[in-house]
Amino acid sequence: MKEKDLYVDFKPQQLIYYVEKDDASYGPVVSGSYLSMHYLDDFIGKRNKQELALREQLKKGEISPIYYYLVMQEYGEKDLASRAGVSVRKLKQHCKMENFVKMPLKVLKKYAEAFDIPLVNFFHLLIAKQESTGKFSIQHLETDNPYFVVTKIDEAKK
Amino acid sequence: MKEIDFKHKMAAHCETGTVTSLLNHKGLDITEPMVFGLSSGIFFGYFESSNFPFPTFIVRNKPGSIRTNISKRLGVKFYTKKFRSDKEGEVTLNELILKDIPTAVQVDFYYMDYMPDYQRVHINVHFVNIIGMNDSSYLISDSYFPKKSELKKTTMQKARFAGGYMEPKGFLFYPEYIPEEIDFEKAIIKAIKKNAFYMLKLPVPFVGIKGMRKFARKVTDWPNIARDVDHLSHEIMRINILLEDQGTGGAGFRYLYATFLQQAADIVKDDGLKDMSKRMMEIGDNWRNISYFAAKIGKNRDLGPERLKELSEMINARADEEYKFFNDLNKLVK
Repeated sequence: MKEKDLYVDFKPQQLIYYVEKDDASYGPVVSGSYLSMHYLDDFIGKRNKQELALREQLKKGEISPIYYYLVMQEYGEKDLASRAGVSVRKLKQHCKMENFVKMPLKVLKKYAEAFDIPLVNFFHLLIAKQESTGKFSIQHLETDNPYFVVTKIDEAKK
Repeated sequence: MKEIDFKHKMAAHCETGTVTSLLNHKGLDITEPMVFGLSSGIFFGYFESSNFPFPTFIVRNKPGSIRTNISKRLGVKFYTKKFRSDKEGEVTLNELILKDIPTAVQVDFYYMDYMPDYQRVHINVHFVNIIGMNDSSYLISDSYFPKKSELKKTTMQKARFAGGYMEPKGFLFYPEYIPEEIDFEKAIIKAIKKNAFYMLKLPVPFVGIKGMRKFARKVTDWPNIARDVDHLSHEIMRINILLEDQGTGGAGFRYLYATFLQQAADIVKDDGLKDMSKRMMEIGDNWRNISYFAAKIGKNRDLGPERLKELSEMINARADEEYKFFNDLNKLVK
């Protein structure tokens, strides 16, 4: 690829490409991501649609929160099962609400660690419309008790 | 913040980037394409495994083998260590930073919170250099990010000790010894031969050229395993991500390999390699056409059997090209 054919003006995601320069030598140049420049809206749109659909299923009890996060974080089943210390068979069971409620707290904690979320997020969904305005922030603060967090709603830092 | 005097620069790929930067820091003048080529980095593999949420492919050699192959070919010795205890892993890393040794660590990419949210996925084979710290944070040189970044120590611990597929176990490394005399010519020939072997002769049905053909065959079945059309669109568009955006230098490392061959031609003084480098650049352009095509049909949800057949034929054509290319390359260096 020739350098002049490459350049994409997309500052949020810069990449290194190796291209043919004017003097016919090959070398690195920095350019924005073509995909993100042209298709990021589509990616985010699909993701939001997916999230809303899963949320509805979650509210109806058709899926468990484990399945919700498994899909949203694009985990492979074997990878997630290994991180949670369970078999793939168990993981598949935990994706259903009737088995989710029987899960030991310790196992649930392992899942929470794999998803990097506080335990409490398996049991509620906090929707704050104004969060996106940047007027306040929501933080889950860890405590010495690994099974307990403090949810802090604060004025956003200027 | 304690900061080691270390030159941060972006690179096409995280592992070649960290290894190149560390070698440069230690005094070896070597480029990223040379590190990639010398470690026989170009590859293809198509995988269907429950380790991944959907069938996927890779376009480079196994994570970790950039470093190990560079070590074999150039005689560079790396200090490497994995840890059973996360506490021990943290203490060792901190001691190295206090001794002014920039150190590469293997991490789950998801935790690199300075990257845009939409890019962050769980993948345990990302590499960054740690080049400083204070009580609460590390200073990171990540090849994928334009500037040095801070990451909380607690977050880094999670990233280094994430479990799962290819878990890092706190793995860290840095170059300890670089030979005074390196026979680059010999190393280049050996690396090229090995790469041709990987692409042509590995007796595994889903790697090398055979892997490309399997990918071409299987991609037409993807509608049967996707949840819905949006999911299929997402996975088809991921072809572009895997070839272009996930640290490849463009065209699934083909441009990076073309650059290696051009630099190698100057060292070996062989114009034949220069011609091969031009051919690889053209092959890269054709892979990039696949990237554009996948992004376009994915966005338009134009994912019927005819369109996927077209995609499949494009992939098969790349397999034909690379089969011929690596055979010719192999003959050239024999």
